[in-house]
Amino acid sequence: MNERNIDPYRKLERIRKRLKEKWIRASERQRAKGKLSAMERLEILLDPGSFVPLQSLVMPMYAEFNEEQADAMGDGIVVGYGTVGGRPVVVFAEDFSYKGGSMGRSHLEKMEWAIKLAIEFGVPLIGLYDSGGARIQEGVHSLTALGGVFFQNVMASGWIPQIAVIMGPCAGGAVYSPALTDFVFMVDKTSYMFITGPKVVKAVTGEDVDSEQLGGASVQTRKSGVATLMAKGDKEALLAVRKLLSYLPSNAGEDPPRVNTGDPWDRIDGELNRIIPADQRKPYDVKEVIRRIFDKDSFYEIQQFFAQNAVVGFARLNGYVVGIVANQPKFLGGVLDIDSSDKIARFVRFCDAFNIPLITFVDTPGYMPGTAQEHGGIIRHGAKVIYAYSEATVPKITVIVRKAYGGAYIAMCSRKLGADVVYAYPTAEIAVMGPEGAIEIIYKKEIEATPPEEREELIRKLADEYREKWSNPYVAAASAYVDGVIEPKETRPTLYKTLCTLLKRKKRFSKMPTKRHGNMPV
Amino acid sequence: MLAMGEEVTSPLSGKVLRINVKPGDTVNDSTSLLVLESMKMEIDIYPSSSGKVKEILVKEGDNVEVGQVLAVLE
Repeated sequence: MNERNIDPYRKLERIRKRLKEKWIRASERQRAKGKLSAMERLEILLDPGSFVPLQSLVMPMYAEFNEEQADAMGDGIVVGYGTVGGRPVVVFAEDFSYKGGSMGRSHLEKMEWAIKLAIEFGVPLIGLYDSGGARIQEGVHSLTALGGVFFQNVMASGWIPQIAVIMGPCAGGAVYSPALTDFVFMVDKTSYMFITGPKVVKAVTGEDVDSEQLGGASVQTRKSGVATLMAKGDKEALLAVRKLLSYLPSNAGEDPPRVNTGDPWDRIDGELNRIIPADQRKPYDVKEVIRRIFDKDSFYEIQQFFAQNAVVGFARLNGYVVGIVANQPKFLGGVLDIDSSDKIARFVRFCDAFNIPLITFVDTPGYMPGTAQEHGGIIRHGAKVIYAYSEATVPKITVIVRKAYGGAYIAMCSRKLGADVVYAYPTAEIAVMGPEGAIEIIYKKEIEATPPEEREELIRKLADEYREKWSNPYVAAASAYVDGVIEPKETRPTLYKTLCTLLKRKKRFSKMPTKRHGNMPV
Repeated sequence: MLAMGEEVTSPLSGKVLRINVKPGDTVNDSTSLLVLESMKMEIDIYPSSSGKVKEILVKEGDNVEVGQVLAVLE
């Protein structure tokens, strides 16, 4: 070997050594802020040893390759593929330690390319966002490249699951990439998302808020519904992503993975009969019902702290993944309103995109009345739920638990919106409106003709008659709007047998007439 | 976010059915402070943070409006 032959290998050695040192420096800088470096995060997210980094020697837009500038290599973002639970995924992770993670053209072109790769492979895309924003010095180059990322997020939408984890700042236009993904996770206190930062907000509106109040994890998970989960620390966020992925197929051409949970499919649970009160006014926690029916510990809730009057999430039924939608009587009596309508519609459409059967539990007194809702556009928002359910061609099973009144009954995956099978519990009350309200209208004259001290007695008698004649589940069953009346305790085996049959059906794509696309209310 | 004296407001119109706490009680975000009746449902009202009940501004039987302050925590 002469001098000139061994030199190329030494150069690569030197570059690799510099990169290793760079990541040690990056870890230290991030640690000072209570965060992990991009590499450390990927190590937690991905199966050990599975990560293949790509394009790690890309230089920023105006720079030429220089082996001494290890910090600049990669232009502040790590991109590549790896596995989660043995299944391939494509990832990108912004590196805040280089120029504040600012998004230069090279950085963004790597991001765009990663999404394209994920689309082509048909595997989930996971993005870890931690960036100060577009790189001002690269101006229109940055902005244009950012547009390229958004476009690919949209191309990927509904083909592969896209998950965004906000692990630092994510501000300005950059928030639109996570916004276009399916699920956004945030890390409490060390991450925030907003379009306009506190300084500009103060200058323009005089409002005095800090980043946490404006767009911290708490706000985004509880108020705006932009994020689904707030994690305490980087590690918790990444482990939550791994867990979510275990419910999802790799792409829309596959079924979700079935896992043996060991929970017998024919388990009868007598407690369920007791948990659901026959007294329609009494609240209960529908999550308790869900946990008992579905495989033990399999319920993975989405947007837990947003619009709590509706509950959505994934669970398993003898190992099969299902998407659950339920009204939550414990919060606001389970009424439907703007936020819960949005939450339900989005979740239903996600499940439909990814072959996840839908099981809907109905117990709602209707839509929340009042000007706040009407002026806020409950009409538009409520319409989304009807659209989403009607459009969905995955298996749809509905269980009418108790109240199912009026438009809310229709919207919650009723027969004509394409529910494949509808069950009702003996406590189900399906009607245009509740007994008391209905009676006041139908029997107005009779009530007014009765002396006041006897009215309450009369109303109670009429309400019982109303239930007997009109609002009990047998009326609906008699006309096949309900396929069967079952006891809560036998829900699990009933749903399982139903689901098995429906899963054998050939996958249907859109039932709609051929058109460019529908016009869903937004 | 400073939570000095959280004002717990009513999320909808209704009637106060039952008051579950009194001034001095320690509560958190899963304590039902009071129960409203609306749309023929009993609706629990929870605070969004933990604290001690400073005062209850309504009594059983009162009609309340959306946004009306029902209780104050400290």
